Amino acid sequence: MIAEVKSLLDRVLGRGEASSTVPPMDGQLKPNQLLERAAVVAEFAAPEDLATDGSSVFVADGKRLLRLGEHGPSEIAHLDGAITALCRLADGGFAVALDGTRLRILGGGHDGKSWERASGAPFVALNAVAASGDGRSLLVTDGSRAQPYERWSHDLMARGHGGRLVALDLAGGGEREIAGGLAYAFGAAPAGAEVWVSESWRHRLVAFGGARPGRTVLENLPVYPSRLSPAGGGGYWLTAFTARTQLVEFVLREPAYCRRMMREIDPRYWIAPRLSSGHTFLEPMQGAHIKTMGILKPWAPPRSYGLVIRLGEDGLPRYSLHSRVDGMHHGVVAAVECRGALYVLAKGAGKILRLPVTAIEEELLP
Amino acid sequence: MTTPILELRQATKRYAGVPAIENIDFELRRAEIHALVGENGAGKSTLTKVMAGVVALSSGKMLVEGREAEPRTPLEARQLGIAMVFQENSLVPTMTVAQNLFLGQEKFYNRLRGIYIAAQQFLQSLNFDVAPTTTVSLLGAAKKQMVEIARAVLHNARVIIFDEPTASLTPEEKKYFFDLVLELKRRGVSIIFISHALEEALQISDRITVLRDGRHVVTDDTRTFDRARIVQAMVGRDLSQTLYGRRKQSARPPGQRVLSVQNLRMAALVKNTSLSVFAGQITGVFGLVGAGRTETFKVVSGVMKRDFFHGGEVFLHGKRTRYRVPAPAVRDGIAYVTEDRKVEGFFETMSIARNIYMGLVAKLGRKRAILSQHESQAAGETWIKALNVRAISKDVKVVELSGGNQQKVVIAKSLVQEPDLIIFDEPTRGVDVGAIAEIHQLINRLADEGKAVVVISSYLPEIMALSDRILVARQGKVVEEFSALEATEEKIMYAAIH
Repeated sequence: MIAEVKSLLDRVLGRGEASSTVPPMDGQLKPNQLLERAAVVAEFAAPEDLATDGSSVFVADGKRLLRLGEHGPSEIAHLDGAITALCRLADGGFAVALDGTRLRILGGGHDGKSWERASGAPFVALNAVAASGDGRSLLVTDGSRAQPYERWSHDLMARGHGGRLVALDLAGGGEREIAGGLAYAFGAAPAGAEVWVSESWRHRLVAFGGARPGRTVLENLPVYPSRLSPAGGGGYWLTAFTARTQLVEFVLREPAYCRRMMREIDPRYWIAPRLSSGHTFLEPMQGAHIKTMGILKPWAPPRSYGLVIRLGEDGLPRYSLHSRVDGMHHGVVAAVECRGALYVLAKGAGKILRLPVTAIEEELLP
Repeated sequence: MTTPILELRQATKRYAGVPAIENIDFELRRAEIHALVGENGAGKSTLTKVMAGVVALSSGKMLVEGREAEPRTPLEARQLGIAMVFQENSLVPTMTVAQNLFLGQEKFYNRLRGIYIAAQQFLQSLNFDVAPTTTVSLLGAAKKQMVEIARAVLHNARVIIFDEPTASLTPEEKKYFFDLVLELKRRGVSIIFISHALEEALQISDRITVLRDGRHVVTDDTRTFDRARIVQAMVGRDLSQTLYGRRKQSARPPGQRVLSVQNLRMAALVKNTSLSVFAGQITGVFGLVGAGRTETFKVVSGVMKRDFFHGGEVFLHGKRTRYRVPAPAVRDGIAYVTEDRKVEGFFETMSIARNIYMGLVAKLGRKRAILSQHESQAAGETWIKALNVRAISKDVKVVELSGGNQQKVVIAKSLVQEPDLIIFDEPTRGVDVGAIAEIHQLINRLADEGKAVVVISSYLPEIMALSDRILVARQGKVVEEFSALEATEEKIMYAAIH
């Protein structure tokens, strides 16, 4: 009763959980133009995920699995479903999630193995896969139990929290749900005895499997975090597919409005985050300008954004790479480090970007 | 060449031996709009207060129409034809516009209707759309400004000094105000115009004078200036001198995010501002007066309250906080070292030890129901030694200490609480150079120990010498962030103004 009264008061006063505030992008998340200035190494129609074995970079593009070579991409395999997650295994095989509903091993010592459910529930939105620290199992995130992978924004608007983290035993073929009830699990990485998981709708990284399961590694992010991958020299690369805005936060706190918007409006024009924007005047939140002291300052809320955050081993951000609201390299969903370079997948633009890590660090670290 | 209407020669004003302005030569021509610009503390206000009879010169002289004058009060200045319109207006809010206009000119028998008619006619002659019967408290900022101007003109002012007249005006009101100023000029009134908004100075003035550190830098026709030249003149101090000469060669990496302020609002002073503060770093906050820096951090520390509706959120160590009074903030590890130490910083008739102990008592709250003389003495001794407070004994009253030592007591009063987040608001204002160096060392030490430190300062060299990252606030909002290594005075000042 008291909680309900408090919740009602919060809604009236715009406080607590009902406040539509967004953390600032400052400190290590201070915007720059590094992603926007990055070299484009390839463009694809439907790129989804990246993987590396330390010497080559692999790309999932629709149903195709490709290797990025010096002379352009070359196809390794053509599958019977759209790849929604990709991982290169130590034995030379690949783990691929197909249509978000099944996970299959291609090549290597476990070729042909597949999983379609865990803990009795079928997979719905498999979106990331990583090998565990000992290489004997796979860590998989299933974003939602209600919405398929491509309908992620429906899950956001419905305030979905049916995501889960699952461990798949490569040798035995068993499966185990490590954590459930996650607000869109999107990306996992082993971190010592723990597994770190991106919880996109709660804007945080959570650790499971260690001494304190559910420990928050990084919280209150101004973005929607996605996949994690190990960085050279320790730490991780964390991608974020779009940034939070006060307008979207406000809309998310109005369930009746969300329901009606979802019912009546084409998803392309929702007041919701997107992987890319600026395609049509029908999109909401076009931008504006403010005139200050005679100087015209363009202003726009980021409907889409591109961001990669370099995390230290302790999970604290060290620096970040941005494609800002006026840029094009938005919707970043994957980043892998290979041979001294960072490869970034900007899904919104359909591009793979390449940035030399040493040059980035020289520019950003004091 | 005609005699200037107002002239200052070698004007110097010292406060307790410290010069606020030094050897300034200044002349104001007839029917001229003269802009006076400079950083906070450059001496603009002191210079104009001398002209308006608010303060007297320590040395040098002032000439009005070629004749030496020495106004000792604003009334004497007004009799010389000099009126000043202050940033915080000086109207009586409970009186009507007409009553305010004629305040000080009352006769033995005042017929209210007569005053209203006279005021109406006078306001109409100035083309001011203000009803004389309206109570001043009901007027907006621009209309109050109009009444102030009308009062100055009514007193036959030939020189009107405006101190930041546009700070509280909307763009439309500003345009109207500029029209008024031009009208006054056409009537032969000379105007001195203090503004931080360089565009305004460039737009409206005939000549510009730049002051820096209490000294005259340049006076020239406005057409010879552009924004870059003014900013250069404002900040171009010799960095090789004193303790501010060292530029930071490295910046401390940030630790955990200790404070996250999100979309904070407080009346017209803080407008949807957001910022973060990290452990193990000094976060410098720069901005011109009225940028909302102090108010933002007073909300964080519970000294002020944010807006009741949609006032934004403050997170300390990731936990949502909303303090109505400072005590719980102190208990949660926030220390706010005030910019106004004499009013808010210490109990002036209490001893040093007692003042420091008060800090500890504030932290412990109900846990320390009975005060201990022994504990008070011990805390006093420890912190006097730690901060090198120079006093005959720990029992000396704080009011008897120098500014620098008073400030150290205020800091000790906060540090005894063992805070995680320490907010220094103008930590070296009114402090001698020796004490400044010691306070800077202390601030650096706190950051090295892993504390999250915020330094709010209007003095750019201080911000640059101390900060690992610099936030620039303008008009109630943090608008720019610089790392210590990329920041330059010009960049910071540009962000603070535009």
